[in-house]
Amino acid sequence: MALSRDELKAAILEKATNAPKPQLYVKDFYACDPEAKPREVKNAANDLVKEGKMTFWSSGSTTMYAAKGRAKDEENR
Amino acid sequence: MPKHDTPLLDELEKGPWPSFVTDLKRQAEKKPECWDILGQLELSFKDKITHWKHGGIVGVFGYGGGIVGRYSDVPERFPGVAHFHTVRLNQPSSKFYSSAKLRDICDLWEKYGSGMTNMHGSTGDLVLLGTTTPNLEPLFYDLTHNLNQDLGGSGSNLRTPECCLGRARCEWGCYDTQDLCHTLTMHYQDEIHRPAFPYKFKFKFSGCPNDCVAAIARSDFAVIGTWRDDIRIDQAAVKGYVKGEFAPNGGAHSGKDWGKFDIKKEVLDLCPTECMWMEGDTLKIDNSECTRCMHCINVMPRALRPGVKQGATICVGAKAPILDGAQFATMTIPFVEVKKNEDGEFAEVVEVIEKIWDWWMEVGKNRERVGETIMRVGLPTFLKVMEVTPVPQHVKEPRSNPYVFWQEDEVEGGFERDVKEFRKRNAQ
Ligand code: HEM
Ligand code: HEM
Ligand code: SF4
Ligand code: SF4
Repeated sequence: MALSRDELKAAILEKATNAPKPQLYVKDFYACDPEAKPREVKNAANDLVKEGKMTFWSSGSTTMYAAKGRAKDEENR
Repeated sequence: MPKHDTPLLDELEKGPWPSFVTDLKRQAEKKPECWDILGQLELSFKDKITHWKHGGIVGVFGYGGGIVGRYSDVPERFPGVAHFHTVRLNQPSSKFYSSAKLRDICDLWEKYGSGMTNMHGSTGDLVLLGTTTPNLEPLFYDLTHNLNQDLGGSGSNLRTPECCLGRARCEWGCYDTQDLCHTLTMHYQDEIHRPAFPYKFKFKFSGCPNDCVAAIARSDFAVIGTWRDDIRIDQAAVKGYVKGEFAPNGGAHSGKDWGKFDIKKEVLDLCPTECMWMEGDTLKIDNSECTRCMHCINVMPRALRPGVKQGATICVGAKAPILDGAQFATMTIPFVEVKKNEDGEFAEVVEVIEKIWDWWMEVGKNRERVGETIMRVGLPTFLKVMEVTPVPQHVKEPRSNPYVFWQEDEVEGGFERDVKEFRKRNAQ
């Protein structure tokens, strides 16, 4: 059974919070629900950013995700 | 902010051409942080390394693209560029805007940024160079509320789509590039403003094979206008060119005397597929051999035009040399009609796009452009994904692999076999 959107979001946030690497690619979240389409996983991760629980980190050419406060942040150095 | 000595950069003011160094010095009178751009660049010239740091969390609320975080790695020496973020604005289709709009954008940028711009970025965006994090939200508010202008794409997003002038100014447009570009921009707002993919993805639209936006070299998804029927010929105008009544190439290359126009030397002999000839003073074309290179049409625009059954070829997977070498996009869909349906959508093109995305999001590796994914799995696999039956134009070279790999459904009885029965006859 595929996870509901809320369950998927919880699994993504859990992974973003506890993964050894602070910043993750969207693909790293696919495993949170192997039955979900990549686009559903992406939308769930983007929702978490909208809600302020995760942040985007971008080099300009690639974008990664991090739980709030975990990304390399130039502003607060 | 004090002026810095910039002997190396000053060299760049010496030629007869316009110089960004001169521009920056002029702008620094109004925006002193521009002295620090010059200072830091001078230091980079000396150190032979960039002093910009890549990346960051900067953005505006609700968006995950359009602003690229840039920070100095020597902020103590150049505080004016400690933060120096780049803002990308989605340009109007074909970059058609009024000078009033340009003035408004420049005024806005004087207010919130350094005043320095880059018109246009490689993806066509209006690029605004240099602002600080606290200025981003007010800038975005004014931009969207007063200028009716939006941010473009960056990061792992769909990048700002770009198109040629097309039918707005050019008689060779085989479909309405502006309409397709604008409609898909609106259709894919979510993908443009928020990351969606393993890496960047670019759309570019050219109305004919002249490919004025270099879609085939610069985009993951290149839609290039073409025609299925015959080149239209006005034989009277052909005679006119031969007699020297009309300047070839629309009068281009006229700075030098090239002698009398020679249709054999300048057109027939340069046709790459050798499919043109003269019968008396009548021009003949074997259209089944024509590769739509546009050469003859470019030389004699008054006499020759694309055919009337118009549409586009879709090529997939161009990229610049970051990981592997640079590559052109590969011809994937030989012909689509580029038509809007009753819902105002280009449904056929959208279907192709989404087939590519669904596959690439799943199979593509992190930071792998779709062209690299195709290279990795091979074109035959990609064509299967796209549900395209291969045609000779998909074949690049004679085979170098002697094996034939059958699919199970191509073999009678499939791949199932009775192993026990086999072992009985071939006992160890
Ligand atoms: C009413 C004034 C003008 C009009 C209507 C105009 C129109 C155009 C058009 C239609 C193009 C071709 C664009 C394209 O094919 O992509 C062009 C190119 C160009 N224009 Fe203008 N232009 C004007 C004034 C100027 C001025 C004042 C300058 C410089 C002082 C200028 C410099 C250029 C340059 C450098 C190009 C590119 C040429 C090339 O790369 O081949 N233009 N202009
Ligand atoms: C696990 C061990 C081995 C494997 C997996 C193996 C595999 C193969 C394969 C796949 C071929 C090509 C067959 C074809 O396409 O026609 C081949 C050919 C050949 N093998 Fe082996 N082989 C093994 C051990 C050996 C040993 C121990 C010998 C000799 C003592 C040997 C001698 C040959 C010869 C002479 C050919 C060429 C036959 C021909 O082309 O006429 N192989 N082997
Ligand atoms: S690509 Fe073709 S249609 Fe578009 S502007 Fe260039 S010549 Fe005209
Ligand atoms: S478009 Fe190119 S290939 Fe076709 S007839 Fe003209 S020159 Fe030959």
